[in-house]
Amino acid sequence: MIYSKDVTSLPDIAHQIVSPRFDIITQPVDVLSLQNLIWYALDNGIPIVPRGHGTSGWGGAIPTRGGFCVALSGMTEILVFNEFESAVTVEAGITWGTLLTFLDRLGYTLPVYPSSATAATVGGFIASGGLGIGSTRYGDILTQVHGIEAILPNGKIVRLGRLLLDSENDTLKEKVEEGNAWLSKQLSSAGLGTPEKKTKLFTGTYGTLCIITKVTLKTIPKLQLIPFACSFNSITDLVKAATRILSEIKPHFLRFLADNYTSKLVALNEYENECGKYVLSGALLDTIYQNEDDIEIIKTVTAEENGEVLDDRRAWFYWDERLYTLRIKRHGPSIVPAEMLAPLDMVPQILEKTKSELRNSKVAIEGMLSNDGTTSVMVWILDDERKKFSFTIGWYRSFQIASLAERFGGLPYAVGLWNGRHAKKFYGDKSYKDLKVMKKKLDPTDIMNPVKVFGGRVTIGRESMVAGFLIGFIGAFMAGLMIPIGLDWLSQFMDVSLLQSIYIPPLPILGLLAGLVGLLVTRFMTFNQALAMGIPLLRILSKILRR
Amino acid sequence: MTKLDLIEKYGQEDEPYVCASCGNCTLVCPVFHELKWESYGPRGKLHVVKSIMEGESEFGKDFAHKIFLCNLCEHCTSVCTTGISLDRFWEVARAEVRERGLLPTPVKFVLKSVKERGDIMWMGSADRLLWMEDVEELVKGRVLKKAKVAYFLGCNVSLKSQLHDVAKSMVKIMDYAGIDYTLLGDKEVCCGAPLGWAGNLKDINEMAEKNLEIIRELGVETVVFSCPSCILTWSEYSESLKEDHNIELLTASQFISRLIRENRLSFEEQPMLTATFHDPCISARVLKSTEEPREIMDEIPGLYHVEMNPSRQSTRCCGSHGLLDIVDPVLASKIAENRLRDATVTPATQLVTECPRCILAFDLAKFTTNYEMKVQDITQLVAESLLPKEEGGDKDR
Repeated sequence: MIYSKDVTSLPDIAHQIVSPRFDIITQPVDVLSLQNLIWYALDNGIPIVPRGHGTSGWGGAIPTRGGFCVALSGMTEILVFNEFESAVTVEAGITWGTLLTFLDRLGYTLPVYPSSATAATVGGFIASGGLGIGSTRYGDILTQVHGIEAILPNGKIVRLGRLLLDSENDTLKEKVEEGNAWLSKQLSSAGLGTPEKKTKLFTGTYGTLCIITKVTLKTIPKLQLIPFACSFNSITDLVKAATRILSEIKPHFLRFLADNYTSKLVALNEYENECGKYVLSGALLDTIYQNEDDIEIIKTVTAEENGEVLDDRRAWFYWDERLYTLRIKRHGPSIVPAEMLAPLDMVPQILEKTKSELRNSKVAIEGMLSNDGTTSVMVWILDDERKKFSFTIGWYRSFQIASLAERFGGLPYAVGLWNGRHAKKFYGDKSYKDLKVMKKKLDPTDIMNPVKVFGGRVTIGRESMVAGFLIGFIGAFMAGLMIPIGLDWLSQFMDVSLLQSIYIPPLPILGLLAGLVGLLVTRFMTFNQALAMGIPLLRILSKILRR
Repeated sequence: MTKLDLIEKYGQEDEPYVCASCGNCTLVCPVFHELKWESYGPRGKLHVVKSIMEGESEFGKDFAHKIFLCNLCEHCTSVCTTGISLDRFWEVARAEVRERGLLPTPVKFVLKSVKERGDIMWMGSADRLLWMEDVEELVKGRVLKKAKVAYFLGCNVSLKSQLHDVAKSMVKIMDYAGIDYTLLGDKEVCCGAPLGWAGNLKDINEMAEKNLEIIRELGVETVVFSCPSCILTWSEYSESLKEDHNIELLTASQFISRLIRENRLSFEEQPMLTATFHDPCISARVLKSTEEPREIMDEIPGLYHVEMNPSRQSTRCCGSHGLLDIVDPVLASKIAENRLRDATVTPATQLVTECPRCILAFDLAKFTTNYEMKVQDITQLVAESLLPKEEGGDKDR
C-alpha cells in the first residue's frame, strides 16, 4: 500500500477509476536490470510506473492499471562531480538531501532543489518539474538539468542533452549509441530536433515517455547564506514588498505563509508578531558584500511596506522549516492538496477567493516565488480520511482550486494524474502536440505510466459498473413513464421476434437496454471523462449536505 | 475496525494518518538499512498499524516481533517531515504488544528482572557495589552522603565489569575537581527506561521515583549520569520532576565541560592521539548535547579530534538501544559494525562516546570485524588525561 500512494490519501471512490495497488514492486539496482524489466513488461503488456519516493501529491507515481512499480531508490550513486564544468552527475534514485550533503562538504550547492529534499529523489523531481528552493533566482528545476540518461518504453537506452560521465568506464556506450540513433530517426520523422537538444521533451512528463536513470545537474558555489524573514498584517503589503524585493535584488529563495498557515504552526504560538500574520521568508546566497547591501534593501522595503523584519533566530527558524512544510498535516491529519501557478500580483485576490470558496474547510496557504513573476500558491486543505463520506465528497475542492487558477490567469501547479485535463494548457499547444506524437511513437501500447498526463481508459470498479447500469436503467424507465415516447417500434419488434410467445412489457426492456448502454459507457470512458462527470457530482452532493 | 486500546489511551491514534509516507524515516532507519524490507522500516510499520486499525490486518505475533526490531534511536523522529514523535509511538505500540501477551521472551525476562531485582540483568543490589574495588579510598563515605551532586551510574555501568572503569573514572574526576558528591550505592535501582522499551509505560514513574526519593533526601541539586537514556526517561516519565525544577540532570560530558569552564581540571599533553567522537542517539538527538564532548576533547592537549560522518544529530545508532541487542543480537551487531566502519574510515585510532550501551556494542563489533580501535567513554578519556596533582594539576583551585 505504501508504494501505491503518494503524500495524499485517496478516498475509496477514487479506486473506482484507478487501481488501488500495484501488482509487484520492483527495485532495479542498475540500468541493465531495469532494461530487462521493461522488456519483460513489454512482452507481457504489463504497465510500468516509475517511482522515486512518492513525495508529490499529483498522482504521478501511483498505479492506474496495476502492474509494476519501478522504485528507483536502489540507484543512488554519485557518478561524477566536475567543478570546472560546475556539474554533477547522479543516478536518479539519490535523494536531493544526500546530494546536497555531498556538495556541501565540497563547498558547492544546487541552484534549485525541492522543499521535500530530504526524501525526494532527483529523478522524481526532474520527471515532474516544478519550483523549489532557489527558484526565486534560478527558476524551474528543469532549467538546471544539463542532460539525462533514460530508458524508453521499448527498452532502448538514450542520452539526451549533455550528460557528464567518466567515458573510460562507460559500459553502456554501445547500447546508448544504438538507442540515440533510433531516437534520432523517430524525432526527425516527427519533425523534431536531435536527442542532444530534446532533453526538455522527456523531463517534466512524469515518466510517461521514459524512465530517467541518470541526471547531470548544474551546481553553484556555496557562497554566504543569509536567511531573512518579515511579518505583515496584510497580504497586499506582503506582495508589494515581495515585488519590490524581486525587482531590486536577486534573492535565492522567497516564500510566503498566509495568516491561516502561521496560525496553525505550533512553534509560532509564543510569537505574536508572527502567529496569525503573513510572513515573507527567504534567503540570500551571494558574496558577503552583495549580501550586506541586499539585506539593507530588504529592511528598507519591509519598513516602507508596513512590515516588520524578524530577528536572525526567527529567520533561521523559517529557513530550517522550508524542508518541513508537511508539518501542517497534523491539523488534518489528512490532506487534500491543491496548488496553482499564478501571477504574483494576483495573489491577494486568489487568497481572498480561496478563503471564501473554502470557508467551511480547514485550510493553510503558502507559496513560493519564482524568478518569472509567478508564484506557486499551495493550498493545504486539511481533512480527516477516517470520516469516509465527508472526505470523499470533499475531494472536489482540489479540482475547484485548479479551476480557480484558470480564472485568475494561472495554471494548476502540476499535471500528474489528477490535472491531466489541463495538460494542453500546462505544456502549451505545440509542446503538448509534440509530446502526444512522441508518446504514440515510443509507447504505442501505452505501458509506461499509463493514464498520466495524456489520459486514457480507466480501470473501472464493479460498483461503478453497477451504478452505470442502474442509472441507465432507472433513467430510461422513468423517462418511459413520464414522457410519452412512442414504443410501437419495440412492440412490433417483439411481435415479430421469437420472444412473442412470452409477454414482456416494453418499458423494462427499454430500461435494460439503457442500463446496458450505461454499463458500456462506464466501461469505456476515459479518465478525464470520469473526472468531468464525478467532480460536479461531488460538488452538488457537498452543497446539498452542507445545507 | 480494530480498536488498539493503548494507542488510543496514550493519544497516538492520529499518528498513522498524519504520516505523509515521504520515507524520510525509512532512509535513516538502521534496521531497514540492514533488512531492506519496507515492513521493517518505520513507515512500513506505521502503515501496518493503520491497516490494523482499519481492520485490514491482524495484530499477530509476526508484527509484534517487528515492533521490537527497532533501536528507539530517535532518528526517525528527528527527520519526520510531519513531526510525528515516532519513538513515543513505538513505545506505545510495544505496550499494545504487551497488552496482547505477544512479548518476545527476552523482553519478558527484562520486565521480570527489573521488577524483581531492580536491574536488567537479574543480578541484585549488592552487585552494584562491585565496581568500587580499587577505588575504595575515593568512594569511602560517599554512599548516601548528603551532597549537592549525585552520580547515578545506571545498570550497565554498575553491573557490567567491562564498564566499571567508567564509574571509577567519574569518581576520579569528581575527586580531582574537589566536588562533594554522593553515590546511591546498593540503593540505586534501574532508572525505568527498559520498562518503556519493554512496553510497561505504567511503572516507569515508580522506578524513577524510587531513586529520586533518595536523591531528594540527600539534598542533591545536580545528578550526573553515565547513561543518557536514564536522563531521557526521568525527564519524560517522572511525575515529580515535571513539577520540581530544582534538580538538574546532566550527562557526563555536560558535567565535565562545566568543570573545565570552572577551571577545576587540568590536562597533560597526550602523545599524538587521534580520536573521533560517536554521538549516542539520545544525547545528540534528544538532549542536544553534541558540543560539550567536542569542547572537552579540544581541551586535551595533543589530542587531535576528527569528525565521523554522519555525526552530531545525524549520528547513526550503535544498534544496542531499545532492547534490540537482546531481541535480535545478530541484527544489533550488524548495525554496530556499520557504525564502527564510519569510525574506521577516519584517521582516528580511538573512538570516544558517552553511553555504556554504545561501548558494549562497539566492543562486540570490534571482535566480529577485527577492527583495531580503542573504544572509551569520554569519562575514561578525561580521567586518563588529567595532569597528576603533584605536577601542579590542582594549582588553580
